[in-house]
This record gives sequence, structure tokens and C-alpha cells, in this order.
Amino acid sequence: MIRFLLKGILRDKNRSMLPVIIITIGVTLTILLSGYLKGVMGDLTDQNARFETGHVKVMTRAYYENKDQLPNDLALLDAAALTDTLRKAFPDMQWVNRIRFGGLIDVPDGDDGSKGQGPAVGMALELLSASSGEIQRMNIPGALVKGHLPARSGEALIGHDFATKLNVKIGDEITYMGATMNGSLTFYRFSVSGTLRFGSAGLDRGAIIIDISDARTMLDMEDATGEILGFFESNVYNDDLALAHAARFNSRYVQVRNEYAPVMIALRDQNNLAGYLDYVDMFSLLFVGIFVFAMSIVLWNTGLLGGLRRYQEFGIRLALGEEKGHIYRTLVYEAILIGAIGSVIGTCTGLLGIWYLQVHGIDISGMMKNSTMMMPSVLRARFTPDLLYIGFIPGLFAMVFGNMLSGIGIYKRQTAALFKELEV
Amino acid sequence: MRPVAYTKQLVPGTKNPEPDFAYVNTFNMKQEKIITLEHVTKRFPVGDGEFAALRDITLDFQKGEFAGLVGPSGSGKTTLLNIIGSLDSPTEGTAMVMGKRISALSHKQSARLRNLHLGFIFQVFNLLPVYTVYENVEFSLLLQNRSASERKKAVMEALEWVGLEKMANKKPAKISGGEGQRVAIARAMVKRPEIVLADEPTANLDAKNAHAIIQTMKKLNEELGTTFLFSTHDEKVMSYLDRLVHLNDGKVAQDELVNHKTKTP
Repeated sequence: MIRFLLKGILRDKNRSMLPVIIITIGVTLTILLSGYLKGVMGDLTDQNARFETGHVKVMTRAYYENKDQLPNDLALLDAAALTDTLRKAFPDMQWVNRIRFGGLIDVPDGDDGSKGQGPAVGMALELLSASSGEIQRMNIPGALVKGHLPARSGEALIGHDFATKLNVKIGDEITYMGATMNGSLTFYRFSVSGTLRFGSAGLDRGAIIIDISDARTMLDMEDATGEILGFFESNVYNDDLALAHAARFNSRYVQVRNEYAPVMIALRDQNNLAGYLDYVDMFSLLFVGIFVFAMSIVLWNTGLLGGLRRYQEFGIRLALGEEKGHIYRTLVYEAILIGAIGSVIGTCTGLLGIWYLQVHGIDISGMMKNSTMMMPSVLRARFTPDLLYIGFIPGLFAMVFGNMLSGIGIYKRQTAALFKELEV
Repeated sequence: MRPVAYTKQLVPGTKNPEPDFAYVNTFNMKQEKIITLEHVTKRFPVGDGEFAALRDITLDFQKGEFAGLVGPSGSGKTTLLNIIGSLDSPTEGTAMVMGKRISALSHKQSARLRNLHLGFIFQVFNLLPVYTVYENVEFSLLLQNRSASERKKAVMEALEWVGLEKMANKKPAKISGGEGQRVAIARAMVKRPEIVLADEPTANLDAKNAHAIIQTMKKLNEELGTTFLFSTHDEKVMSYLDRLVHLNDGKVAQDELVNHKTKTP
């Protein structure tokens, strides 16, 4: 009987090819949309975490209040001791010190003059410490356009567009001009070891990245740091855990009235990301949900129409002595088979699309020429394990559900009308 | 109910004055009652009232009969065929088919009765278009879970009966109307049912094909002893039938035995 049904499915293109094509298209679109949304939304969160917020960030209360001004005069002191404390208290996270600073970059012309100048946003990372993981976290090797990573103190990386604008070449010297932690003017000369393109217009057009030891010397911040960032070992942001860690850490300092007391802030509570994260969750769920629902209705109708189209066949089978339950079951088995085939093909094609969009992405840099927003200029999809099964919701369940509903008609069918119906 | 016309026609040609005796002698192969209808009434709800499609029908059919239900449209032929085919049950009265009381059968039991003991031939051949002639005929046997070798033997035999063994691999769309109806006969006969119910089987065929089809069925009736019950108003079909049950307004108007030795179909 199974072979008999398979023959029917294979030979009747309306029964097999059409539903399989519809399911494949539906499942492919579902997976593409879901993966793309996750990629784009996740990229924004990830980019914020990597460049700015960490999964949690420890600052002084005063620094947190004024963080948009990069107030290094309100930085954390005894940074090494506090970092050790954090490593012991929260061993599931990697802890790194960072100093962010602003200032002016001057490119000397060799005759005590200036070839060019531009405002810069600086970031001091633990670049020379292999164990910090900062180079990988910031994907600096991947972002390196020219030159090499800083190998020693006094070397800096700058944004590629920034370098182009200032006409800076690898090995050229640049001078940072800004204010120290104590408010005095500072000048510090770096050699440009490489240029970077992060895919974030804001960084590419004005970033300078140096080792934190240079920043501490340059800004008079010995054993001080603006921020201590914590990242989960998995590199995946866990909102609940981050909030729990922050609550646990902050509970130690509830009684402390000092504005320089440290405070831990989770990613969601920085850069207005709370609303964004909630929006992402809701929007992803809603959008994918609506799409899955719409596809489910389409495929349900496919199943329904398939059942109606085979009305006569079912009539013949009933007359020949096949039980209603048997016909219904075979209808469902066929739907499972067709749904599974379409879902597998759709999942494969969808994942292929996700792979392409993950590797190549969609370049929107052309639309972001004047943008200072920290967001990726290449939008990429992201593969997540749920993409392996999400397509089966519309592809398999909706198809089977549609067939099951249409199949109820088999039970309601009056066998007494068969002769009349089969005369047509 | 013993058909009145039967005895009237047979008795004059025999020396035995006992009509029942003559009946037994001539049709001793057909003594097993295979269908018994007693006071069968079938009513359908129409608006606030009811419409009686069959009224107090009492009939029986013996094994091996080649009989027809004849009458104008709306006379109750198809309704009666439905009840005998366990597709419907009477509102009142008793319908017994193969010893089973139709009104007492569940859907499952009805299906089983149709699957094992009844064959259907429709006005439109109703072959499954995606399957070959062979597979269409094989379908009934698949429902009976017969082995592949049994099925093959039975299907080829059935196709030989109707002279279509060379068309086994053709699709229904590639055969003529007459051939299509012969496939339908093979499909009905392949499981060797005791009863074949045929609803206007020649309605869509030309005269030549209609005669060929009815002759094929007659031959199967004689060789296999299968009971054939037709619903028809086709004179060509009637001319081959041994018994005609005339229905009118849901009642048996006449139950007539036909002696074909005196007729040329």
C-alpha cells in the first residue's frame, strides 16, 4: 500500500510537485527571514558589546552618570585589584580593562608643521596581552586593511578611512593631543602600525586604537581604567545572567555613598539597549510568528485544496471498500511525506542562503556615508541552531494540519451519495 | 418474495405443474439467497417533511442471478442499490446482504463487506488516473492485504477475462471508453466478489461497446457464478438480464423473469 501511495505521489504532480515547491519556497523564506533578522539584530547587540558596553561593564558611579563625555577624571582607581576581584567573583566571564578617550590627531609634516588633523575617538585595549582576548574579540586581524597589529608600546591602529583622509601611511607618525585624567594637556606620539575597517562608519572614519599601557602613560592613569568590561565565555549575551551578576555585584556597594564606588551595568542598561533588546525579542518573535502563520495558512490551504481535488478519488476508494479511517490516515501520511520533503529541501536552500548572507552579507555602507551611528555597514544573517527546525513549523505541521482538517470531510462524507457523486 | 412472472414463464414449458419445483430444477445453482429485503422503506428529510424514496420493498436475490432494477429516474433504483451496497441503510425494514443486516453494520463493517464481497461498476468508469490499468485493478486486492504474487495472478486473470491483459501498463487516459469500462469490470471482479452492483454501466458507451461490456459481464456471471445487479433503463442491458425488477415511485411495480431462449438480445 505504501508503494502504491508513493507511486501516486510521484506521478501526480499536482499532489507532489506543487505542494513541495510551495513548501520549499515557504520554508526557505521563513529560514532566510529568521536568520537574517537574528543576524542583523544580533550584530547590533554584538557590535555594541564588543566595542562599547561589554556584556556587563564596571565603572564608577560618577563615570556612569557622565559616560557620554568620556570622563576619565572619574575613572576607576586600583583597577588591577578590582579586576582580580571580579575574576574571582565571576569566573564565568572574561574581564578586561579599557580606556576610552577623545582628542585630536595631528599628522606632522616633518617641518614642525601639520599635514592634517582630525578629531578622534580613542580606545585603549589590552592589545599586548595575549590572554585578554581583545584582539580576537574586536576581530582586529579581520578588520586590518593594511599593516600589522601593534607589536610594542608606541604603535597605534587607526581607522582606514581616517588614515585615507589624513593621508597617513603605515609607519607614519601621528600625534595625539588631548587631556590627561587630571585635566592637563597631553601630547603623545604614535607610529601607525596598521589601518582598520570595522564596518562601522563611526569607527572607520575616526578611531585610534592603542594599547592600554600607552593610554595609562599618556593620560596619567597609572593603575586606573575608565571601564572594566566583562564578557561571557561563550561570547553570547545572556540577559538574565548579566542582570543577575550586576545585581549581585551592586548589592555589595549599596551602603557606599561614594560617587567613585564601582557600579556594574548590564548591556541592556547601556546605550538605551533595553528597549532595543525588548524590541528585538518582540519584533523577531512577532515577525517570524506572523510569517510562519502566513505560510502556515498558505500551506494549510494547499493541503485543503489537495484534499478537495481528490474528492472523487476518495469516493472511489470508499466505494471499493476502503475504510474512512484508512483513507484519512493515508492522506495524513502523504502530507507528512510531502511536508517533510519540502521542509528538508526548503531548510537546505534556506541555510544555503543564510550561509551566503553570513559570509558576504549586504553592504549598506553606501547608505551610511554620513552616519556616526555605531552599526555594522554590512548586514549579515546568522546561523542559529533553531533554523534547523523552524522551517518545519510551516512546512510540516501546517501542511499536515491542513490535510488533517480537509480530511475531516472524509468522515463527514455520506457514502449514500457516492453513486450520484461518481456519476459526474 | 418469489417473483410472480418467473413461475408464469417457466411453468408452461415444463411438465411439472409445481412452480416452486420448476424454479429449483432450472435454477438449482441459484438457490442460496444472497440478498434479502423485507419491507424496506427509505425516507429522506426534505425541508420540514420527508420524501420516501423506497416504500415497503420486499425482494430477494439468489446467488448467481443476472438481474436489473429498472425504472424511470427517481424511481428508487440507486437508493436500493445504495442499501444493497451497504452505502446506506433503510429507514424501516430489513436488508440482509451476505447474511449481514445492513442497518446493524458499523462504517468499518460496511467497508469490509464492500471490500470482501461486493464489486461496484459505475456509469463513469472512475478509474484512478495516475495509476495504470494494472494498478487500478490491483487496488482492491491491496486493501485485502493479499501478497504480491497473489495479486499479480489475480489481476492478470481479471484482465484476461475482459481481454485487456496487453493494456496492463497503460494509463486510463490512453484507453478508450469501452476499454475503461472493461477495466472497471476487472476491478470489480478481481477480488471475486459474490455480488457486483452496476449503476448504468453502459450509459456512456456506444451500442457496440455496450453489447461487448454486457456480454463480458454475462460471461463472468455464468462462469464464476457472480450475482450481477444492475440499475438501468437501457434496453440493451435489459435484453440480457434474466430478471427485471421494475420500480416506480419507490415501489416494486413488477418483478419479471425473462426467458432469453425466447428472446434475441
